[in-house]
Amino acid sequence: MTPTQSTPASTAVTRWFRRIPLSLIVVVALLLLLTVTGTVLSDRFATSRNFLNVFQQAASLGVVSLGQTLVVLTGGIDLSVGAMISLTSNLTSGLIDGNPDRVLPVVIGVVALGAAIGCMNGLLTHYLRIHPLIVTLGMASILQGVTLLYSLAPLGKVPQEFQVLAYGRFLGVSIGGLAMIGLFVLAAIFLHFTRTGNAIYAVGGDPRGAHLMGISVARTLAIAYGLSGALAAITGIYLVSRMGTGDPWRGEGFELASITPVVVGGTILAGGRGGVLGTLLGVYLISLLNNLLNFLDVSTFYQWIIQGLIIITAVAINVERGRRA
Amino acid sequence: MRMACPRAPGDAQFPCNAANFMTSAIVSVTGMSKSFPGVRSLDRVDLEVARGEVRALVGENGAGKSTLIKIIAGAYRPDDGELAFDGRSTRWSSPHEAARAGVHVIYQELILFPDMTVAQNIFVNDQPRNRFCLIDKADMRRRATAILEELGSPIDPDEKVRNLTVASQQLVEIARALKSNAKLIIFDEPTAVLGGHEVDILFAMIARLKARGVAVIFISHRLEEVFAIADSATVLKDGKLVGTLPVKELTQSKLVSMMIGRPLADMFPPKATSEPQGAPVLAANDIWSGPKVKGISLALHKGEIVGLAGMVGSGRTEIAHALFGSAPLERGSVTQGGTAATSPDPCQSIARGIGFLTENRKEEGLFMLQDIAVNISAPILGRIGSALFLNRTAERMLARQQIAQYAIAATGPNAAVVNLSGGNQQKVLLGRWVNTSNTALILDEPTRGVDVGAKMEIYRIIRELANRGLGILVISSELPEIIGLCDRVIVIAEGRKTGELTGRDLTEERVMELAVATGGAGLPNGVAA
Repeated sequence: MTPTQSTPASTAVTRWFRRIPLSLIVVVALLLLLTVTGTVLSDRFATSRNFLNVFQQAASLGVVSLGQTLVVLTGGIDLSVGAMISLTSNLTSGLIDGNPDRVLPVVIGVVALGAAIGCMNGLLTHYLRIHPLIVTLGMASILQGVTLLYSLAPLGKVPQEFQVLAYGRFLGVSIGGLAMIGLFVLAAIFLHFTRTGNAIYAVGGDPRGAHLMGISVARTLAIAYGLSGALAAITGIYLVSRMGTGDPWRGEGFELASITPVVVGGTILAGGRGGVLGTLLGVYLISLLNNLLNFLDVSTFYQWIIQGLIIITAVAINVERGRRA
Repeated sequence: MRMACPRAPGDAQFPCNAANFMTSAIVSVTGMSKSFPGVRSLDRVDLEVARGEVRALVGENGAGKSTLIKIIAGAYRPDDGELAFDGRSTRWSSPHEAARAGVHVIYQELILFPDMTVAQNIFVNDQPRNRFCLIDKADMRRRATAILEELGSPIDPDEKVRNLTVASQQLVEIARALKSNAKLIIFDEPTAVLGGHEVDILFAMIARLKARGVAVIFISHRLEEVFAIADSATVLKDGKLVGTLPVKELTQSKLVSMMIGRPLADMFPPKATSEPQGAPVLAANDIWSGPKVKGISLALHKGEIVGLAGMVGSGRTEIAHALFGSAPLERGSVTQGGTAATSPDPCQSIARGIGFLTENRKEEGLFMLQDIAVNISAPILGRIGSALFLNRTAERMLARQQIAQYAIAATGPNAAVVNLSGGNQQKVLLGRWVNTSNTALILDEPTRGVDVGAKMEIYRIIRELANRGLGILVISSELPEIIGLCDRVIVIAEGRKTGELTGRDLTEERVMELAVATGGAGLPNGVAA
């Protein structure tokens, strides 16, 4: 039933290698290729100073993409993260308004709001049987409208200490960047070592089957979308810390930008396959790429084109993998 | 021996004559009835299965088999009747409750998560956890290995399920059932998706379950399997119990006559009486195509039904594709209605009046979501309307006429094909091809997944078409079908023709002899790529 066994040691190693998804190998290869190219083309690229900068800059994209990964693993998509970032960023700075005492309650409240709105996305998708693309697109529009009703312009400011999140360094390394890594580690543990995490894969693989196995699809979707909402809210807060103020259009473009690292990292849009490690590598790939293109004075328009090519290529490779399996 | 079991309401312990050879019942159903709007799906049925017993549940489609197992598994609530499981009278509130009590159903469509590992699939709904409430992967793997070993399977618990063969995937489901202490496992047509060798593996597994004292209810349309694996068989017809008998008191023909309510001899229409006349309507002249068609010559005449027999993988289907032009010829030529062609293509073949029913009616044949009329008219749209517009009225009329002619059980031309039974879907396809084909028809597994009653009707239609002058080539894995239906049988082994049988030579033994003539045709070996 299984292929013939050769010596146990060699099969164990072969099996271990065989189980590394091709998508991860591709992302690592692209990262290496990019680093080598960057080192050759620019003497400012391969410096620890630059790498630490990229590590810091990747934090916002990383956190929002992490949430997106959880949703895509369920077979869904969250297009409301951009508007969520806009809303939470302006809300955070507007409510704190330079008062250090308000930081903690506002941050907690805003993250809870993100989680609640996210949960709603998941539950609406499940109970109304509407495709998540539609639900979250509608939610994005609602959130953007609410954001603009709240304020048409950047509102309020945050105290200096609050900017530690974005600019603070621990042993020379960005605190925001480290916090992002921490969130990825937590998410990996959640996905692989909790029942709910496994349920996300099961629901993404076969929602009807998961239901028949006694897994609550509604609960699983609520948690995945809720986490995505909370992580988008954290991204909004982080961006306030970086910019010093909110902005009703801060999150524009994040809904699509957050999908790029996910699919480049090998999580398939159909759900049930992939993981956060791929997304993490995808985030660094995109961030390093943009960083290098900036050094090379390549126009932003070309950056978009190259990013598009990378998405299509990476996904095409994953599809090929699926056919062979 | 009695054909029908007398019902004894109130006597739950021995509701049925067949209970005599059982010791302790795990499940007992008495007077079970269930109606759906307009249909009495189950009418006072009794069933009792003992621990360690393998019970076959047979009957035509619509006989009530699925309704019965769904009631036993908690998916349906009965209108009336008693259900006792493990000695206690019960009425399940949900499939989960039934599963917790030990009833598991393995449907044809497996409930598996292809991107998760074998161990994760087995423990998908109750992963073992450590004291930090995190999943204990080592423990999960250990327990999965133990269950798989008990089933005598070498599957690696860390393998992703998508990399397994269908047979191994079924085994993962069995392992999942055993993990939750299954006492009764119901298999719903498990062999329909398996190759020959894989069926043997499944049967070995069922024997192990039996040895462990697990009761098994086994639904299959393949009667030889009933005799291979079951201790006893329960026959349902039109929602009613026909009877339960130990297999050793049964013969295949007796079982069929119980299922269809009349003797087996009537199953096939009479064969052609006269020798075929004239030039062949479809012929292969030393054709080679791909690795599985090696120098085949054959001829099909007007009014004749010719069978193409051989093991699965012997090249039968490939020969059909070569004849129809859907696979390229490397050498040789085919003759279609008097015209020789060295590179036939499907469009030409259809234009010359050749039709081809492939073995996958869902993927290659039908528009499942469309209605019957649209499906029938699809290849002849040019004929039922003006140059610009379709004549929908004419289309519906044609459909109505064929529904009547082929006794398609449907509400009308507007019924969606997806809602029809397998047999009726096959009749729609036949109806479609008959409209375009006046020379020859190639039918690949025309009765696969079709119940006995519908099979008989399909045989009748095939013979009628032959009598109307078509040459018909039938590919089938079922020997009784090939022998009962065909006037002449060509046997293929490893891509070569090993013989041709007619009249009195046409027996199962002779066909089998020729089918393995070149030393064991390529049986699927159950190894995943």
